[in-house]
Amino acid sequence: MILNAAIYILGALAALATLLMFFQRKPVKAAMLMLAVLLCTAGIYLALSAQLLAAFQVILYAGAIMSLFVVALTVTPQAWRDRPAPGRREMVPGFAAAAIILAELLKVSAGLKLMSAGSGFTETGTLGIARELFGRFLFQFELLGLVILAAIVGAAALALKRRPVP
Amino acid sequence: MNAYPLAAISYLLFALATAGFLTCGNLVRMLMFLELMLNAGNIALVALGPPPASQAYALMLFAVAAAEAGVGLALIIAMASAFRTLEAENIKELKG
Repeated sequence: MILNAAIYILGALAALATLLMFFQRKPVKAAMLMLAVLLCTAGIYLALSAQLLAAFQVILYAGAIMSLFVVALTVTPQAWRDRPAPGRREMVPGFAAAAIILAELLKVSAGLKLMSAGSGFTETGTLGIARELFGRFLFQFELLGLVILAAIVGAAALALKRRPVP
Repeated sequence: MNAYPLAAISYLLFALATAGFLTCGNLVRMLMFLELMLNAGNIALVALGPPPASQAYALMLFAVAAAEAGVGLALIIAMASAFRTLEAENIKELKG
């Protein structure tokens, strides 16, 4: 009961913080609101008995990715320039598209109303996840190493300044 | 707990992030909303999938999100130095 209430409250807080991000003109404050969303998500994972994921959410998303965003904001002074907030007319198509997506998703997953998401979420230990990662999903896991390697090489190549050829 | 409210929470977060992605023109903010969309997908995966497998997949998606953020921000920094702007509507060239 308490866990269910926690999931609803954290979900509502995450939605509110996402909504506030639209109207926040200062980029660093918008980044802090995103941090709030990510921490609420970590709380949802905890309530769903996914403790390892909650820890990774805080370390990876709220730690590493957010610091990347803050660094990107500091090295791009263009991000700090004031831009008039989008007018209502500019916002209507985006919100309409999002409303249509939301309505369709809810309609498609109406069958979930009959489904229970686990009577009291069972605690999944690190061992169970490790067995999946190094057992059934070993190929995908190894492939992921290639993806990360490609991302590192790509990011380094993009970040290197091009020097004029003498 | 019924699965529908859990799915609805993740759908709501996904839809809000989509709205933000479509309405704001700043590239850094667009990438932020893109990350939030991926985050909402992760919530749906963890909430609705069978426990060990869904959580293993969610862990892999964390790594994908980190790679995406790294490459995306490197692209944005390169574009900012090339075009001197971060507004998507002011960037009209794909080459040069």
